[in-house]
Amino acid sequence: MIVPTGGIIDLGIGFPYQSVEEKKAAYDFFRPLLKDAQSLQEFEFPAQYMFKDVPDVVAADVDPVAWIVDKMDAFGIDQAMTGLSVNGIRAKREHPGRFHLMCRADPNEGMQALRDLDAAKAEHDIKAAMTFPCGTFPQVAVNDKKMYPIYMKCVELDIPICINGGIVGPRMPSWPQLVEHFDEVLYDFPELTMVMMHGGEPWTALAVKLMLKWPGLHYMTSAFAPKHYPRDIINYANSRGADKVMYCGYFPAGLSLERQFRDMPDVPFRDDVWPKFLRENAIRVFKLDQQPTGVTA
Amino acid sequence: MSFISDIGAIDTMIGFPHADMKGVYKFITDQVKDTQSKEEFEFPAEYMFKDVPEKKLRGSDDPISVTLREMDRWGIARGMIGVGGEENLGEEALKRHPDRFIPSMSGDPNKGMDGIREITKNYEKYGIRAVGLFPAGTFPQVAINDKLMYPIYAKCAELGIAVFCCAGVPGPRLRMAPQRVELIDEVMYDFPDLTFVTRHGCEPWQDLAVKLMLKWPNLYYSTSAFAPKHYPKAIIDYANSRGADKIIYAGYFPMGLSIERIMTEMEHVPFKAEVWPKFLRDNAAKVLKL
Repeated sequence: MIVPTGGIIDLGIGFPYQSVEEKKAAYDFFRPLLKDAQSLQEFEFPAQYMFKDVPDVVAADVDPVAWIVDKMDAFGIDQAMTGLSVNGIRAKREHPGRFHLMCRADPNEGMQALRDLDAAKAEHDIKAAMTFPCGTFPQVAVNDKKMYPIYMKCVELDIPICINGGIVGPRMPSWPQLVEHFDEVLYDFPELTMVMMHGGEPWTALAVKLMLKWPGLHYMTSAFAPKHYPRDIINYANSRGADKVMYCGYFPAGLSLERQFRDMPDVPFRDDVWPKFLRENAIRVFKLDQQPTGVTA
Repeated sequence: MSFISDIGAIDTMIGFPHADMKGVYKFITDQVKDTQSKEEFEFPAEYMFKDVPEKKLRGSDDPISVTLREMDRWGIARGMIGVGGEENLGEEALKRHPDRFIPSMSGDPNKGMDGIREITKNYEKYGIRAVGLFPAGTFPQVAINDKLMYPIYAKCAELGIAVFCCAGVPGPRLRMAPQRVELIDEVMYDFPDLTFVTRHGCEPWQDLAVKLMLKWPNLYYSTSAFAPKHYPKAIIDYANSRGADKIIYAGYFPMGLSIERIMTEMEHVPFKAEVWPKFLRDNAAKVLKL
């Protein structure tokens, strides 16, 4: 592992919860989709069966922003992408240059989702939109018509859309995230920058094929511990895809930073791939070095 | 002249006689398959119309004056025309007679983001009040509820301008499937704030069109391409009852109908007295935000 000059950029960091109740509430939005008893009654986190224990709940008197900044410092993380939340907005304000915001877009909200993206760009200079096809209620496929206005808005705002691909962890139907759906979207929106999240498994060979085909398609490693990075993705990053694959940790949704960086040195990336994977691709794809329009540095 | 010409009608579909009709309709004839459409017809829906005014009027030095003269003669105060078409006639007409013409444009769902940028540009430059759509006539065809239409609907909703969309069996000999009236239901569900105006009759599903207009507050019907004697009974009945605010006059000059034909038949349409000004003027003024 070669740490890039300037430090690591983690494309997905959240804040620790201050109670188990708060953690459970974070997943309420797709609870109406769950049917099996274990998901409904036993799990604190709906994809819990896939992950080992995560130390993601801190005491009520701990400041979650200060806590995560300490963690970032400890692991050499210079900048992080986080959601447009109260904590995220405060973190960006209190720690200039260290946090970027992404805004969740819900295709079931119609025009309101587009107005929210416009407002989030204007007020908070969001660097990306994010949508979770299997987790919206009702579910909306990657290539569904209700996604198309969101894609249009992302092109207009010149921001990428981060979107899950592959079998979904929580126990709900996976078809909205079939990797093959990405092909049609990139055909219809060749200017769109799409960043596939959450692995693309088990269609990782297809994900690579589509990244070769479509300049706008990228991949980030959200929700995957490094020891489980798909072989197809590592090989692609080590060959023609060095500019396409990006690190995303995704704390606190299943993985701690301790776990991420304990495994990370064992990933067989080539030396020249590491700085791209851990930093440079993120800056280029998400335009992290650009000031908002009308603002000078 | 009659009570009709005193109202000062707004015609929500009017054009100018083009010199090159084959060129204007090439986008349709490129995809028809039958010999008659390909070789005999200059206007692809010619079999439905007794005569095509454009054939006689083309070749004029001043097509804008040709249309304006007909408007003056029959008491049409304003007409909605297209920008971005052949010969830039729409742009020129707006410049010369801004008080008589209302700008709109044709949308093309196959153009993707370029098509969206075109809408934004024409809105900023000309203040277009509507985007016209022809689902069966775009190549490849794109259904009313197809995903490729959704960015256009979103952009129109965002700009607060109307969509005028052909619905019902298309006249040109193309597949009808993209224009089934039932497809409008899903669009209105997903875009409840969008002003959606049907064009070209909705036949033979005019009862369904009425049902959907009752259901969706922002769904309207315009009478384009129909001679008044063929206005569907269901539409006249609806205009005379709960739909007085929903039915909008549109002609089809010079594509398929002369204004003379339209206006001489018009006075025989059994609209109630209070419906006439709404049908001919006020409903259009409302959906076009004049």
